[in-house]
Amino acid sequence: MDGPDEIIHQSTRLRIAATLNALPSGELLEFGKLKSILGATDGNMATHLAALEKAGYIAVEKDFVGKKPRTRVSLTRVGRKAFERHVAYLRDLLAG
Amino acid sequence: MNVSREEAAKALDDIGKASDRIVQLKGYHHGAPFFVIWGLVWLGANSTMQFRPDLGNWAWGVGIAAGMVLSTVLGIMMSRKVPAGAHSSADAATGRKIGLTSGIMLAFIFTVVWIASPETKREVNAIISIMFPFLYMAAGVWAGWRLFAIGLVTAAAIIGGYVWVGEYYWLWMGVFAGGSLIAGGLWLRSA
Repeated sequence: MDGPDEIIHQSTRLRIAATLNALPSGELLEFGKLKSILGATDGNMATHLAALEKAGYIAVEKDFVGKKPRTRVSLTRVGRKAFERHVAYLRDLLAG
Repeated sequence: MNVSREEAAKALDDIGKASDRIVQLKGYHHGAPFFVIWGLVWLGANSTMQFRPDLGNWAWGVGIAAGMVLSTVLGIMMSRKVPAGAHSSADAATGRKIGLTSGIMLAFIFTVVWIASPETKREVNAIISIMFPFLYMAAGVWAGWRLFAIGLVTAAAIIGGYVWVGEYYWLWMGVFAGGSLIAGGLWLRSA
C-alpha cells in the first residue's frame, strides 16, 4: 500500500483536489467559485493553490475578461493520479 | 506521516462533500438556461392570451415548438462542451434523449388533460402549468434546494393565480409563473 500524499492530505488542499477532480479532465474552475465552494479566504486559497501548483498537481491560468483579471485552475493529470492514489490509500486504511 | 483511521474517515467525508457540491453547482449551471427558455415561452404565450386571445393558440404552438427546438440545440451544445472526449460522440444520443424526454412529457400532459377533461382554457392552462413546478420540487429533493425553491415559488404563483386572480389571470401567469422560471434560471446561474 502506498503512503499518504503529504501535499494533498492537508484539509483545504484535499478539498481543492476533490472539487477539481469531480470536473471533467482539463475543465477549469474560477478562483472565486472555488473559494466560495470551500468557504476559504483569499490568502488561504492562494497559499494552498501555490503549494499544489508547485507540486505540479494543478495548472493555474490567468487572463482577462474585458478589463477584469481572471484566475482559473484545473487538476493536472499528475494531480488526478496523486489524488486517486491518496483516496485509495485512505480507503485501504479504513478497510484494513 | 501517519494518518489515523479517524482522520482517514474524515478526509473521505470531506472529499464526498466537496464532490457533491461541485456536481450540484454543475447541475444548476446546466439547468439554468432551460428555465430561462421555458420562462420566456410561458411569459410570451400567456401575455398573448391576455392581450390578443385570438392569437393565443398560435402563440402556444409557436412557443412550445421554439422551446423544444432551443432546448434540444442547447442540450447538444452542452454535450459538445464536455472536454476530454469522454462524450464526444454523444451529440446524436443527447439530441435523441432530449427529444424523447420532451415527447414523453407532451404525451403525459395530453393524457392528464384528456382524463381530467377541463372545461375552460384557464383550467387547461392551470393543469399543464402546475405539473412542472412539482416536478422541480421532486427533483430538487435530490439535486439541490435551489431547484426545490424555484418549484415551490412557481407552484405558489400558479395556485394563487388560479384561485384569486380573475380578469388578469393570463398576465399573472405570464409574469409570475413565467417570471419565476426566468428569475430561477438566473438564480441557478449565479450559484
